[in-house]
Amino acid sequence: METIKAKLDETPFQTAGPFLHIGCMPNAVKINKIYQNDLGEIPFKDKQENELITIEGSVFDGNGVALDDVMIETWQCDEKGKFNADSGFARLIPNNITKKFTLKTIKPGSYKGFDRKTHSPHLSLSISARGLNMTLNTRVYFEDDELKNDPLLSIISLDNVNSLIAKKIRKNSYLFDIFLQGDRETIFLDI
Amino acid sequence: MNAKSLIKRNYKKHPEIDFPDYKSSIFRAPKNRKISFPSSNTEIIGPIFNKNIIGKLDNDLTLNFSRNKISPLGHKIIVYGTVSDQFTNPIEGALIEIWQANAAGKYLHNNDENPAPIDPNFAGCGRCLTSSTGYYEFLTIQPGPYPYPNRGIEWRPMHIHFSIFGKSFGQRLITQMYFEGDPLIKLCPMLNSIGNEKAKNSLIGVLDTSRSNTQNLLAYKFDIVLRGIKQTYFENRKEGL
Ligand SMILES: [Fe+3]
Repeated sequence: METIKAKLDETPFQTAGPFLHIGCMPNAVKINKIYQNDLGEIPFKDKQENELITIEGSVFDGNGVALDDVMIETWQCDEKGKFNADSGFARLIPNNITKKFTLKTIKPGSYKGFDRKTHSPHLSLSISARGLNMTLNTRVYFEDDELKNDPLLSIISLDNVNSLIAKKIRKNSYLFDIFLQGDRETIFLDI
Repeated sequence: MNAKSLIKRNYKKHPEIDFPDYKSSIFRAPKNRKISFPSSNTEIIGPIFNKNIIGKLDNDLTLNFSRNKISPLGHKIIVYGTVSDQFTNPIEGALIEIWQANAAGKYLHNNDENPAPIDPNFAGCGRCLTSSTGYYEFLTIQPGPYPYPNRGIEWRPMHIHFSIFGKSFGQRLITQMYFEGDPLIKLCPMLNSIGNEKAKNSLIGVLDTSRSNTQNLLAYKFDIVLRGIKQTYFENRKEGL
């Protein structure tokens, strides 16, 4: 199928290591005088509080320990299914006491993709940390949406398809836990 | 209609995820195979960062944290190169963020247990956007090697961590640059998690002697390649790709 051949190999990944916050979120680790703000601190800055949803969760390792040294990045379209410059981008680290990350954002809309298929509302996620030789990718869907015809979810016949679906826990609030290993290992994507 | 897609990743030229020589991977690396999925808009489009986020000293780590312009300890280096895609097209506006240890091998981070001194004039973070030719450049100091707990105490070779955004969320890359000639390179389990020799060597910054001799600092060149994005014209193809 590939008509044009790539000339170069992609540069290989290496782990982000335990100190990635120095480079990606320095203000979060009290290096405050270099960048005014950390990137991805607040997605969709111009939205009001009552227009936002919350997605919270933890990232668990194979021992069931919730990690606080991971960085999660999220990327999404707006409520109309449109992608804008960098407003749909967020970076999160879990709170070091509760071990939970909390994303406040707008609920994305569905969109018709380059593949001509309609994708149910979702966010794309990347997860980087010490111990991960490559960044992991996955998607977050919402349990109260129509998901039957989504092109990704419909090719997954595995029991753990639920690992891609955030559970509604309160009005405008969702729970999305990530399991790096174990019985409930999250589905990661080769995007 | 114009369909876009990302070139499939060649995992033979990337590190193994489950690589017990790197102890931290044992309880963190997923065990199941990734689901192969033809990337769509969320993966093919990506955040585009505006020039106005970049401050004047953001790519000068020798000054961006220094008090009264006092230079951090260590010798100065320039790290430069280009960001292109797999079709050799330069990528303009790619965001590169770097972080590194100071000359003594210490990170400015609460979790760093290395008993080496902090340098009050060095934070070890910097960033820039590539130019129209894909060019980037950082002025910094040579990071020291450092001990870390792995199979007992092991030493990391000198390195700088790189995070790169191209045009597409699926091009996102996090990696490390090493330094030509460092004897610790061949002992590093993180680098050795890459099986392919050529891929491994592509992470080693090359000493540029001509530039080093003219600017009172050592220069290292490190070129970065992000995944290619294909554009294909489709007609009467119901299933897209
Ligand atoms: Fe490091």
